Amino acid sequence: MAAKKAGSGKMKLSAVLDLNEASALHGQLISMRGSDIVLDASGVERVGVQCAQVLVAGARAWDEDKKSFLVEKASDAFEKTMQLIGINPANLVAKEI
Amino acid sequence: MKKKVLTVDDSRTIRNMLLVTLNNAGFETIQAEDGVEGLEVLEGCNPDVIVTDINMPRLDGFGFIEGVRRNEKYRAVPILVLTTESDAEKKNRARQAGATGWIVKPFDPAKLIDAIERVTA
Amino acid sequence: MDMNEIKEIFFQECEEQLAELESGLLKLNDGDRDPETVNAVFRAVHSIKGGAGAFGLDDLVSFAHVFETTLDCVRSNKLEPTQDVLKVMLKSADVLADLVAASRDGGSVDETRTRGLVKELEALAHGDVPSPASHEAPKPAAKAPAAAPKAESPKPTDDSGFQPIPFTFDDFGSDEPAIEGSTYDIMFKPRRELYSKGNEAALLLRDLSRIGEMSINCDATALPALDKMDPEGSYFGWTISIKTAKSEDDLRAVFEFAEWDCDLEVKPSEAESSDEELPMIPVPFDLSALDDAPAVDDKAEETLAAAVAAAETASNVAKAAGAAARAEKKETAAAAAAQNNAAAAAAAAGQTIRVDLDRVDRLINLVGELVINQAMLSQSVVENDATGTSAVNIGLEELQQLTREIQDSVMAIRAQPVKPVFQRMSRIVREVADMVGKSIRLVTEGENTEVDKTVIDKIAEPLTHMIRNAVDHGIETPEKREAAGKDPEGTIKLTAKHRSGRILIELADDGGGINRERVKQKAIDNDLIAPDANLSDEEIDNLIFAPGFSTADTISDISGRGVGMDVVKRSIQALGGRISISSRPGLGSTFTMSLPLTLAVLDGMVVTVAGQTLVVPLTAIVETLQPEASAIHSFGATQRLISIRNSFCPLVDVGRILNFRSTQANPVEGVALLVESEGGGQRALMVDAIQGQRQVVIKSLEANYTHVPGIAAATILGDGRVALILDVDAVVAASRGQSLKAEMSLAATG
Repeated sequence: MAAKKAGSGKMKLSAVLDLNEASALHGQLISMRGSDIVLDASGVERVGVQCAQVLVAGARAWDEDKKSFLVEKASDAFEKTMQLIGINPANLVAKEI
Repeated sequence: MKKKVLTVDDSRTIRNMLLVTLNNAGFETIQAEDGVEGLEVLEGCNPDVIVTDINMPRLDGFGFIEGVRRNEKYRAVPILVLTTESDAEKKNRARQAGATGWIVKPFDPAKLIDAIERVTA
Repeated sequence: MDMNEIKEIFFQECEEQLAELESGLLKLNDGDRDPETVNAVFRAVHSIKGGAGAFGLDDLVSFAHVFETTLDCVRSNKLEPTQDVLKVMLKSADVLADLVAASRDGGSVDETRTRGLVKELEALAHGDVPSPASHEAPKPAAKAPAAAPKAESPKPTDDSGFQPIPFTFDDFGSDEPAIEGSTYDIMFKPRRELYSKGNEAALLLRDLSRIGEMSINCDATALPALDKMDPEGSYFGWTISIKTAKSEDDLRAVFEFAEWDCDLEVKPSEAESSDEELPMIPVPFDLSALDDAPAVDDKAEETLAAAVAAAETASNVAKAAGAAARAEKKETAAAAAAQNNAAAAAAAAGQTIRVDLDRVDRLINLVGELVINQAMLSQSVVENDATGTSAVNIGLEELQQLTREIQDSVMAIRAQPVKPVFQRMSRIVREVADMVGKSIRLVTEGENTEVDKTVIDKIAEPLTHMIRNAVDHGIETPEKREAAGKDPEGTIKLTAKHRSGRILIELADDGGGINRERVKQKAIDNDLIAPDANLSDEEIDNLIFAPGFSTADTISDISGRGVGMDVVKRSIQALGGRISISSRPGLGSTFTMSLPLTLAVLDGMVVTVAGQTLVVPLTAIVETLQPEASAIHSFGATQRLISIRNSFCPLVDVGRILNFRSTQANPVEGVALLVESEGGGQRALMVDAIQGQRQVVIKSLEANYTHVPGIAAATILGDGRVALILDVDAVVAASRGQSLKAEMSLAATG
C-alpha cells in the first residue's frame, strides 16, 4: 500500500511517508521507470527525510530518462516539509551548495 | 486527530501520573504494565509515540524496545524512555536497543509533553 | 484524578514495594540467587525512588538513590550478597520504610541512623567494586562517554530551551531583524541509525526552525542513483544558518536525542548577518501549518517563487492548492483502530480492582442486615406454616442458602493474606535482636493464609508484643545457647494456617522454655496462687497470662516470659480468639493463637439461661451433654464437678457467673456445654436449654452500648430479639478467678 497506482504513469502518494514507507515507495518508482509520471501528493500528511530522498532520487532518474516527473496537488504538509528540509517541493530538487 | 501515546510502566504511581499528564495535554493514552503487555497492546493500537520505563518485570524496557524495533509494522514508532539523570549507562543501552529519546525522571509534565512533541510530527 | 489521589496511590504502592523489597531480601538471605529476585528487589527501590521524585520527596529520593546504587552492584554481580551485606540491606529497607512513613504522615526519622546506613551502603558500593566511578557517580558529568564529547543532556535548568519562541507573522521576512541575537552555522548529517531509532531529521529541522530565523541548504550530493540507493539509508545532509536569541547550547539541545547518530557542528557564524548573501531557502517557522494548514504568508510565497525561479531544472511545475480529500478507507480504519484500543485498554486494566475499604465494610454490614432480615422472615413463615411444606417455605430455604453464599463471597472480598503482618514481624525481630545482642532468624510459614482484614489489623499489635518477648526473653544469648550445645543463632518460627473455620497462628521459639520454678514462685509472690497449690506444668505455663502476673520491675528478672502477656491475651480474646502456650524446658516455647476468620459473623449455639437468650460461639464447644444426677459431685458450698468418661470437669453455672440468678441452678434440669478454654483445660458450662444452632451477625456491644463482663458482643435473632454472645473464656476465667485458690487449697488438703 505504498503508493496507489492511479492509472498509467500516475501515482498517489501515501498519507504517511515515513521510514516504513520508503522501501515501498522506492519499489513503486522503480517499477514505473521509463514513462512520464505524475505524483499526486494531495493526501500526504507526513514526510520523512528517507521518502524525500527516494523522491529526489526519482526526480533525478526521470530527468536522466528525459521523462517528466511531476508532483501535483501537493498538500500543505508535503510542501512545508520539503521546504523545511531544503528541497524544492515543486521539482524535488535539493538546493545544493 | 488526537495523538496516541502508549505508556509502559510497572509503577501504578507513574502510570497514573502519565495518564493525567497526557490526557490533560489532549493525548489519547493507552497503558501497559510491563514489556510483555506493551508488545501485546502495541498490536492494533498503532501509537504515534511510545513512552516506556526501563526496570520492569517479565520484559524490561530494553527488551521491549528491541521487540518494537523488530516489529515490521511498528518499528518506526518513536520510543521515549523514562530514565534518571544519573544513569548514562542505561540511557546508552536504551539507545542501542533503539530508543528515540528519553525523559528524565522525575518527569515534569511540561518536559514530557515537550519530548513527545519533539519526536512526533 | 488529581495529584493528591496519585500521591495516595504512590503510598499504597510504596507499601507493596516495601513488602516486595523485604521478602526479596529475605529470600536472598536464605541463599536464593535467582537474578529475578535481585531484580525485583532493585525494582522495588527504584520504583519508590521514581515516585518519590515526582512528588519532590527529596529525603526519600536521596536515600533510595544510595540504596538503589548499592543494589545495582549486587545486580551486576559486583557485590556478593553475603549475610553481612544483607544485614545492611535489611536495615536499609527498614529505614526506607520509615522514610516512606515520614513522608506520608509527616513524622520524622532517626537521622543519625539514616546517615549511618548511607555510609554503610556507600562503603559497600565502593569497597567491593573495582571501578566504582563507572557505576556509582550520581552525576553523569564525570563520565561522559567518549562517543559524546558534548554535554550529553541539557542541564535541568535548560529545559526552557525547547519552548517555541513567540512568533508573529509581522516579524517574518521583515527587513529589520526580528530576533535579537547571533547567527550560528550548523552542519547536520544524520546517519542511518538516526532514522532506525525513530528519530526524524525533518522533525529536528522543524524544532530548529522554531527557535530562530533559519535558512537551510540541503546537500544531496551523496544521494546515489534511484536503483542504487537504499531507501532506508541516510544521504542528505544540511547546512543551516540560524539567527536566534538562544544560546549555542540551546541549539545543540534540539539534537539531544540524535547527536550520537549524526555528524553535527554548531558554531557562531563568521559572517554576521550574512543571510542576504547566502542563496539559501529561508524556512518559514510557522510550522503549525504542518498540521492545520493556514494560508501561507505572502512573503513566504514570494520567497518560494524566487527560489523556484532560480532553480536549474526546467521541469514542469504543476502545482495546485489541493484540498485534500481524505480517503474513506481511512475512516473505517480509524473505527477499527478505536475498537482495538478499547480491547487493548481493557487488557491493560488488569485483573484486580481497588475498592475503598469503607465500601466493602458497608456492603458487609448490609449483607449482615440481610442475613438477620432473612432469618426473621424465615421464622415468621415457619410460625405461620406449621407443616413446612408451602412453596414459600421452600423458597425461603433457597433464599437462606443464597444469603449465606452472598455473605461468604462478600467476606472473601475483605480477606487478606497475613503476609504484611508477618513481614512487619521480621523487622521487629531484627531490631530487637540487634538491641539485645542476639542472633535470631525468623522463619515464616503460611503467610498467604487469608483472614478478614479487620482481624489482620488487630493481630499486629499482640503479635508484635509476643515477638518482642520471644526475642528478648525466649531466645537465650548466643553464649548460653552454645553452652547448651545449641546453634548460637536462635530461630523463631511464625506459622499461619486454617483450622476448622478459624485461623491458627503459632509462634515457636527454640529458646530455653518457661522456667516453671520461677513462674510459680512469681505467681505465689503476687498472690495469684496459694503457696501450696499443686499445678500441672500446663497450668503453670499459662500463669503467665494471668492478670497481675508481671509488673514492670520484674521484666528483666524473669528468664521465661511474662511481660504483659495478660494484655496480649485480653486483646486476642477481644477478637474472639484464644491463646495458649506449651513449653519444653531447654527446647523452647510455642504460643498458639486461634482466631475467627472474620469479626462479622459467628456460628453460634443459641441457648437459654435464666430466661435470657445467649449465643455461645460454636468453636468453643467441644460437646453438649445432659448431666445425670449421678455424674454431679459437689464439694464445698458452691463447687461442683461433673464426671465425664472417668474424668472430672468443673461445672460452671453461666446464669450464676453472669448474675442472672442468685442461686445455682439444678444441673440435672439443664444442659452442660463442654467447652475448651485455652490452657485451662475443659469446663462444663451449665445452661437451661439449647434453642438451636445458627450463624449470627456480630454487633459490637462496645460500639453500641458498653463493655459487659463475660459478654463478647450481641446479635439480633430471627425474631428480632437481641441476644448476647457469651465470652466463653471470660466466663471460664471468672469461674477460675473466684475458685482458683479455693480449689487448689482443697486439692492440697484433700
